[in-house]
Amino acid sequence: MAETLQFRFTPVEEARAGPPNMHAKATTAVGDIVEMLREAFPAAIGDVVCYAGEQTVYVDAARIVDVCRFLKEEAGFTYLIDIGGVDRFTETQRFEVYYNLVNVAGGKRMRLKVQLDEARASVPSVMSVFPAANWNERECYDMLGIRFEGHEDLRRMYMPEDFAYHPLRKEFPLLGVPGSLPLPPQVPDGPLTMDPFAAARGSRPVPSYEEPEAGEGLK
Amino acid sequence: MDANTGYLTTTVDTVVNWARSNSLMPMPMGLACCAIEMMAFAGPKYDVARFGSEAMRFSPRQADLMIVAGWCSYKMAHAIRRVWDQMADPKWCIAMGACASSGGMHRCYGVVQGIDNFLPVDVYVPGCPPRPEAVIHALMDIQEKIRNTYTIGQDYARGPERPAPEPMEPTVLSGAGTAVVTPEVLGAVAGG
Repeated sequence: MAETLQFRFTPVEEARAGPPNMHAKATTAVGDIVEMLREAFPAAIGDVVCYAGEQTVYVDAARIVDVCRFLKEEAGFTYLIDIGGVDRFTETQRFEVYYNLVNVAGGKRMRLKVQLDEARASVPSVMSVFPAANWNERECYDMLGIRFEGHEDLRRMYMPEDFAYHPLRKEFPLLGVPGSLPLPPQVPDGPLTMDPFAAARGSRPVPSYEEPEAGEGLK
Repeated sequence: MDANTGYLTTTVDTVVNWARSNSLMPMPMGLACCAIEMMAFAGPKYDVARFGSEAMRFSPRQADLMIVAGWCSYKMAHAIRRVWDQMADPKWCIAMGACASSGGMHRCYGVVQGIDNFLPVDVYVPGCPPRPEAVIHALMDIQEKIRNTYTIGQDYARGPERPAPEPMEPTVLSGAGTAVVTPEVLGAVAGG
């Protein structure tokens, strides 16, 4: 049974305008792509934030699949590098999902972001556009509990299937919830025997794990 | 009997323990970077073949020493326990490195804080990762432990009423010989 976890929000911190990023590359300057997106999806494209010479496009969660398909088919962004989730954990904003795309032929990189409510942490899956999104979305679901609607196989990636929590959420304690992850028993159930030929004498030790009976799978 | 034939008398325990301690076949449970040092331990430079343990056995049925090298997640713990249960008795276990011994620097929700939470560990090796010499030392400790066990005699000849042997005293292997470890001995080793 899962406990209800308590937490406090973190204060909002504005990004500080620093000196221009001397390491910024021309590959991340995607102003023309952003203009194409604004023309094609006037309602779905939100803020475009430029930080350290890199542009981040905020996209309406409901249209993320269309935007990705447009970028793949019209703008040549055929390579999905990464999908991941962020727990912003402020009072006004909770989750974010980011998508890093690369146009290999054109030498361009861009980043899309989707903001999600805490109450409805769900976003359409882009697996239909980029099959490579499969495991990234599963990891994001496992760690943050963000549901990807339309994902073919939305299982946990790292944690056991019956684990009750999402460990990268900020309210999850760093050392975990005691008892939420079972360990194997330290000693096997049942009596121990000093007889090295116990099986030959008809005694079977009680297994400490569940395994099929001998030959069961061969029938 | 012809005096020139040559014979010696001993006990079954001595012979069996001698054979067991000099033919330990490790099960390399390499989970992280400690496994690289474990390979060096088995390789030609440090050459654990000198101790009869060069045959790493990847089947638990053929192994009698499990070296858990690296941090162990809660999910992996069940697989390790399963392999351990499949190993035939008698068997021994080395927790190699800080992570296997105590969780090490991985003080977080997903890592078991020491494999002794689910395995009976015989020797803990400190270090991050331990040098191959340290693992050889751990192997020698296991060998010493095997040579000090009374198994066959207790099981068959004398029965369970035979008193258990005295527990081993920790000893210093260098400098002070086999003296029992006390602060005075340690001081003598450090000073001398």
